[in-house]
Amino acid sequence: MAVLEGSRLTKRFSGLVAVNAVDFQIDEGEIVGLIGPNGAGKTTLVNLITGVHPPSEGEVYFRGERISGEKPYRIGRMGISRTFQVVQPFPGMTVKENAAIGAMFGAGGRGKTARQALERAEKILEFVGLADLKDRSSDQLSVASRKRLEMAKALAMEPQVVLFDEVMAGLNFGEIDQAVELIRKVRDDGKTILVIEHVMRAIKSVCDRIFVLHHGEKIADGPVDEVLNDENVIQAYLGKRYRELTERGD
Amino acid sequence: METKTIRYLLICGVGLAVAGAFPLFGNNFTIRFGTDILMFAVMASSWNIIGGYTGYASFGNVVFFGVGAYVTAILMEKAGLSFALAYAAGGIGAAVFAVIIGLPVLRLRGHYFAIATLGVAEAMKALVQNLDITEGNAGIYLPMLDMTVKHQYWFFYYMMLATLLLTLVATYLVLRAKFGYSLIAIRENEQAADSAGINTTVAKTAAFALSGFFTGLAGGVYAYQQAFIQPGPVFSVHMTVKMIVMAVFGGMGRLFGPLLGAVSIEVISELLSNYFLVAHTLFFGALVILAIVFTPKGVVDMVTSRRFGIAYFLQNIREHRI
Repeated sequence: MAVLEGSRLTKRFSGLVAVNAVDFQIDEGEIVGLIGPNGAGKTTLVNLITGVHPPSEGEVYFRGERISGEKPYRIGRMGISRTFQVVQPFPGMTVKENAAIGAMFGAGGRGKTARQALERAEKILEFVGLADLKDRSSDQLSVASRKRLEMAKALAMEPQVVLFDEVMAGLNFGEIDQAVELIRKVRDDGKTILVIEHVMRAIKSVCDRIFVLHHGEKIADGPVDEVLNDENVIQAYLGKRYRELTERGD
Repeated sequence: METKTIRYLLICGVGLAVAGAFPLFGNNFTIRFGTDILMFAVMASSWNIIGGYTGYASFGNVVFFGVGAYVTAILMEKAGLSFALAYAAGGIGAAVFAVIIGLPVLRLRGHYFAIATLGVAEAMKALVQNLDITEGNAGIYLPMLDMTVKHQYWFFYYMMLATLLLTLVATYLVLRAKFGYSLIAIRENEQAADSAGINTTVAKTAAFALSGFFTGLAGGVYAYQQAFIQPGPVFSVHMTVKMIVMAVFGGMGRLFGPLLGAVSIEVISELLSNYFLVAHTLFFGALVILAIVFTPKGVVDMVTSRRFGIAYFLQNIREHRI
């Protein structure tokens, strides 16, 4: 059974149809990629799944249970957590406290005291490689560290499903490889993952399957190689130049 | 860490001893002055819960003071309740009122929230001015406390001190609990708090109710102390402004900031009005402006980081881009 499922998901912002009748399924333990040009509706889809926006039509199911229409905090507590494309730290708190907020109020937060959550946060920071910076103020971090903190906040909630919204944007090659490694580690930890990304190098190396949004509609869904060679996908997103380059092996 | 805790406890102990022993050495005037300081310390500390920690700058917190004062007055005068019960009821009444108005008003943020709370306080004043049970503008009398004058001064002083201790201990416990973390998370980034699993509506409303509760308790003590209250003074915007200035001056979002602010603001304004009969508010205003410019994090930040030099002032100015 699919862990996370969307059925005919549609979101209209007055005249604009941001997401149009999108069906998707994500199975237990999968890493699924979501790609598409800017403005295709990728982040809107994440916002529909996490309850930031209620869908205009269609439903979201988590382990078969309908969750569309629920508030973000309820969905977070059920076990779906996310990162924000534009990172959203708690600026006046230390790195450790930032992660601890997730540990206190997320899916694993019930029954945890503040102190236990802070201990849990330290473990998560070790996991994402931020342990050295735990006592820093979160507004003193580099871009790469901010993205990692965003991941730490989501993971501290002990979710079953994590939605990574462009956690690699703005990173250099070395940092991207580290992030890919981290996403694999998260999967090995038993979590199901949706990765939204423009960095094709990362998508190719980490995803089991990808689907593509264009003008709010799903235009392809399947194994990575198949989708990246799909004529529609090349036209809409990758461009002919991408195929030429990849065929030459660059 | 250990020595830090010991020092902290020591300072609290000394502060408490000084405050506790104060009436033994004061005359009626100074005891009354001390009671006023404590009352404003309660109100500024309560404001700190919603304005300082949760980041919702309420410009109508005086409404809880007024509600507390009137609930206490009505219960004592019309229902014949003892002060102990009426005092608790004043706090509870203000907290219930905070929940009722908080649910719609806390959906607003920033300036809109500030203006809405200001409107609530003004509307409540108008309501109390026109209700029968509150006896309108004529005001309401409370039973007199049956004690010698000296003991009355002592009674009200210690009641306010107890209310302040209650407020500070409750705030301290909140800050150590998950609830306190949720409030600060809301202040720092409400959207992120929401997606981290915090029920922001419940947390904000609870903070507002807590703020209302302690302000209401202070209102009850004040009403009994005055033995006569009118809507004008107990719902005065001036009081809200004072509690905000004290909290900001002392240090918002710091446990002892508002207390420090209340003591320094009251003492300074008292001294100024002694020396400059006419122009003291002018000097006072200038002082507040200077404080905001040079120590925007409050006096408590200056004291705890023990930096009084010009470098500290310049750093503050740079950080806050003035």
